[in-house]
Amino acid sequence: MQIETLSGVVVDLDGAPVCFIWRGREYLVASRPVRWYSRRIWWEESSAAPKGAGPLMEVEMWRLWATSENSRNLFELRHLQPADSWEIYPLES
Amino acid sequence: MGFTHLNLASAYSAHYGVNRPEQLAAAASALGFEALAVTDRDGLYGAVKHIAACIREGIHPIVGVNLEITDMGRVVILAHGHTSGSGWSVICRAISLAHNSRGKERRPRLGLDELAAMIRENPSCSVLIGPQSGIASKVLVSPASARKELDSWLSAIPQPGVLAIEVVNQLSEPGSIASEEHARAMLRLADSAGVPAVITNAARYLEPDDALTADVLDSARHLEQLGLFAMQPNAQAWMKPAAMMFRLALDVCEDTKRAQKLIQKTEQLASRCVLDPESDCGFGRPKTPEQQALGIEGNPFEVLWQKAHSAVNERYPDAKAPQLAEIQHRLSKELIAINELGFATYFLTVADVAQMIRDMRIRSAARGSGAGSLVNYLLGISGVDPVSEGLLFERFLSTERSTLPDIDIDVESARRHEIYKNIFRRYGGKRVTLLSMQSTYRSRGAVRDSGMALGIDDDEIDQIAKNIWRFSARNFRGAMEKKPELARFSSDTKTNDRLNLLVDITERLDRLPRHISVHPCGVILGNSSLLSLTPTEPSGIGLPMSQFDKDDMDPMGFLKLDVLGVRMQSAMAYTIREIARVKKKKVDLDAVDREDKSVFEQIRTTNTLGIFQIESPGQRELTGKHQPTRFNDLTLQISLFRPGPMKGNMIKPYLDGRHGLITPDYLHPDLRPILEESYGVVVFHEQLMRIMQKMTGCSLAQADEMRRKLGKESKAASVSTYFHKAAAARGYQKQLIDKVWSIIEGFGSFGFCKAHGAAFALPTYHSAWLKTHYPTEFIAGLLTHDPGMYPRRLLIAEARRLGVRILPIDVNHSTNEYLVEKTRSGYGVRMALTEIVGISNREIERIICEQPFRDIADFYIRARPARRTLERLALIGALDSLAGISGEEAQHSRGDLLVHIRQLTAKRPAVNDANQLSFELGSLDTLPQGNPSPSRQERLDQELKYTGMDISAHQIERFQEMLDDLGVVRASELVGLRSNTEVLVAGVRVATQTPPMRSGKRVVFISLDDGTGCADATFFDEAQRRCSSLLFQNRLLLISGKTRRTGVRGVSVLAENAWDLRQLWLEWEKKAS
Repeated sequence: MQIETLSGVVVDLDGAPVCFIWRGREYLVASRPVRWYSRRIWWEESSAAPKGAGPLMEVEMWRLWATSENSRNLFELRHLQPADSWEIYPLES
Repeated sequence: MGFTHLNLASAYSAHYGVNRPEQLAAAASALGFEALAVTDRDGLYGAVKHIAACIREGIHPIVGVNLEITDMGRVVILAHGHTSGSGWSVICRAISLAHNSRGKERRPRLGLDELAAMIRENPSCSVLIGPQSGIASKVLVSPASARKELDSWLSAIPQPGVLAIEVVNQLSEPGSIASEEHARAMLRLADSAGVPAVITNAARYLEPDDALTADVLDSARHLEQLGLFAMQPNAQAWMKPAAMMFRLALDVCEDTKRAQKLIQKTEQLASRCVLDPESDCGFGRPKTPEQQALGIEGNPFEVLWQKAHSAVNERYPDAKAPQLAEIQHRLSKELIAINELGFATYFLTVADVAQMIRDMRIRSAARGSGAGSLVNYLLGISGVDPVSEGLLFERFLSTERSTLPDIDIDVESARRHEIYKNIFRRYGGKRVTLLSMQSTYRSRGAVRDSGMALGIDDDEIDQIAKNIWRFSARNFRGAMEKKPELARFSSDTKTNDRLNLLVDITERLDRLPRHISVHPCGVILGNSSLLSLTPTEPSGIGLPMSQFDKDDMDPMGFLKLDVLGVRMQSAMAYTIREIARVKKKKVDLDAVDREDKSVFEQIRTTNTLGIFQIESPGQRELTGKHQPTRFNDLTLQISLFRPGPMKGNMIKPYLDGRHGLITPDYLHPDLRPILEESYGVVVFHEQLMRIMQKMTGCSLAQADEMRRKLGKESKAASVSTYFHKAAAARGYQKQLIDKVWSIIEGFGSFGFCKAHGAAFALPTYHSAWLKTHYPTEFIAGLLTHDPGMYPRRLLIAEARRLGVRILPIDVNHSTNEYLVEKTRSGYGVRMALTEIVGISNREIERIICEQPFRDIADFYIRARPARRTLERLALIGALDSLAGISGEEAQHSRGDLLVHIRQLTAKRPAVNDANQLSFELGSLDTLPQGNPSPSRQERLDQELKYTGMDISAHQIERFQEMLDDLGVVRASELVGLRSNTEVLVAGVRVATQTPPMRSGKRVVFISLDDGTGCADATFFDEAQRRCSSLLFQNRLLLISGKTRRTGVRGVSVLAENAWDLRQLWLEWEKKAS
């Protein structure tokens, strides 16, 4: 599956997505987004892990329903740090 | 509203928790928590440290345990506080039961019925059913069966206020355990069943960064590489601040009121579980066996008084009136202090154990500061006379401190378990447990487990671990940049990410507890409530072991008795037995003359191998310089040869004073009597205490308190002020006061307790006495009990040097011990069967049992050795006499014997038909002829291969031609050379040491044995770089360097380079041919 990246993600004070643009359409978040954390395979992705190295291990994830003009979908959004970029995975509609 | 973490694993949840209790409590206090729980897995391993840390931090301690309930998953059981100990008691007993009833799986757990029964009797605990419970795994997929399981909990434990549902939101993937959704389902379940719910974070580390360490610990627990087992879902299991916990509660409840209630219930439970350390856990209250358990009646202090006084005549039979008065005075002083501290029962207990050991006819000796007590000497606990040796009671026990003192007893190691079992029998299982010990990660173990986590090849890790010497894993990165033997590894990490990660995670593991094991010598003796105060688990030796370690003893007020197994005591007991058996002489070491000149002559030759405490290369060198002539010299020498005095440069002025090279500086006539024995150098704590007493007029007890403060910078200043003021008031000049103070100040870590030194010196003298007067029996004792630091083969070399005959292994004479044997040409030591590589205990037992044997076939049938064992026995010559091939007129060779054995074992029939077997063997019992005998060198190689020892000759001999050609000097000749002579020495490595040095640089000492003695070589920086790869690995070495005279009999080699002897030999042979 090809990874799709998102642009124009707007977040609230908690960092929760409010709206974003996916496949050219604007989506509005329509449920309380659930924040959860996934993990990284740090021992393969990193070359050092000194004490206090920072968040090597976690990835912030959001599970949410979002609606565009004519569709309503359940999405998983993956928020990558430190790049502050977003990936999107549609789950169901 | 506040919040309290009720589920938190400390690092003492081995391979699970990440942070030590001290760190947790300090962080909790910094975060503003008023109370904190530690709930370690399967035990109270970190509980005492947690309580002590909470007291220090001013927060309330809560203690629980994370325990598996059969078929119900893991739950947390919290002790209720302020229950006069019944909450603490119920979790102690539940843990003990879980460990002691564990089945073949060796996994501690408790049946629900067992837990329910305990709670019925004593409902002072709460059970939290949380994310590791069976209910948690069902609540989302099958809410009905989760409810059913909760109902079975409720019907087993109906008492109100015991069960609670633990809601945990660790922000894992929606739908998985400990996700928000899951937490909500747990809350719903609790509400629907009317069970109270509390919220925790099921924490196992302090901050998100520690989650990495937790990953590696999980890997070590699963014995699997990272990624190959079910890993923690994320890094959320940390000790979150209250505000974050409120937010999580709100997310779960989606309702402010419900969230408030959840937090409120959590706080209610927390306050119910706050422990009062003193009334709940018995903190700080000394506990000793009850009088009836000791068999005493009446006031214990009066009994002690009686016992001590009645022993004065026995211990001091020749004392004149003035000395007796001094003794009586000192005794009164000690007894008064003991009474004031309320320790009479404690002394009677230790005396009772000491008497029990003597009644078992086991050698024992007190060790440590306890030797400074006259009461201990009179009660027979210690064998050193504190009056004549100038030892101080105040160093051992003082009214200024109220903790139970340590009395350590050294016993024969081989019979230590007998003593333990007798202690259990004598005082009863409810008053005694063994002490445990937490092994922590050291650099090698940390590197191994980190390597496994990262999936690094075993051989590669071995190679790295092998080169790790003497540094803590915490400084791995720093060390690898400095140490030559790690240079290659260091450059590898720059290109290999895995290796670079290895360094970081090894550093993270440093000092974390790994596993619990029996402490090598500690026994806890308490009163009949001991098992309500400490949980126990089974130990390898079949006796229950407390989950508390030595640091927990003082806070818990437990009496810990150290019964140390000392192999030298076993070796000496064995020697005495052999003397009695073979020579029919009874030796009583405690009664021998302590000023025997021949013993000191023997020590002064520096051939101290096998003598307790002074056989190491460094002690040997010091012996050469020091040349001891009396018992007190041994005490001094043992006390001086330690890192402190070496760092403090105390040895040289002492030796110079002793040999008259300088005039000792006693600073002031008043101090001369105190410092005379050590030529003006302050060596002992006792001397320091006397100086303080003399110059300030304080009591010895106060002097010892001040001495203890010197170690802590913050407290040393107050001692300085006092010392200056008080000494000036007594009329001492400022200049003198300043000078003495500078010595006192620097003394801090350098000094040694003289009582320790004297207690050690006693077995030192005893072993030297035996070595001098009964070398054959002593060598047999050393070989049997292997008490020293050197390989057995060096003892064989020493025997050869002493002219003690070594009799080879022989199946008709050898046993599992090294027996002294009378032969036609005098006494000798018969090698034991135990040294043969791969021989089983069963085989040894059968051989001993069936001895003597008629011939090879008889041996084969009755002793039933494995084929491999039989072959090895033949190869090392253990069958020579049996086969009749050892004498001069022998017709056959060992070659013939080997062929014969191969025929024998090849023909062995598969079925057990004894008749046929003996028939076939009988017909085969003629040796073939004409097979070549192995050469001397081949024999030696076989001996080394199968016994680890060169028995028939020294293994260096084979190189002799080359060594002569190169002009290599023998170890015994070194002493005759001038200082600074260029020399080559060669031999077998027998010791490698890297003691810390004053400059902070590392020095490597290598001792080589060449059959004439030991040559000690010192490698400093440059030489280490030159031969880094050889330093820690090769066994046979040639070393070049310059002699360095260090004293009358002291010579060592300042090494310049080293070579592999075998490599040289190959090249030399090539050139020669």
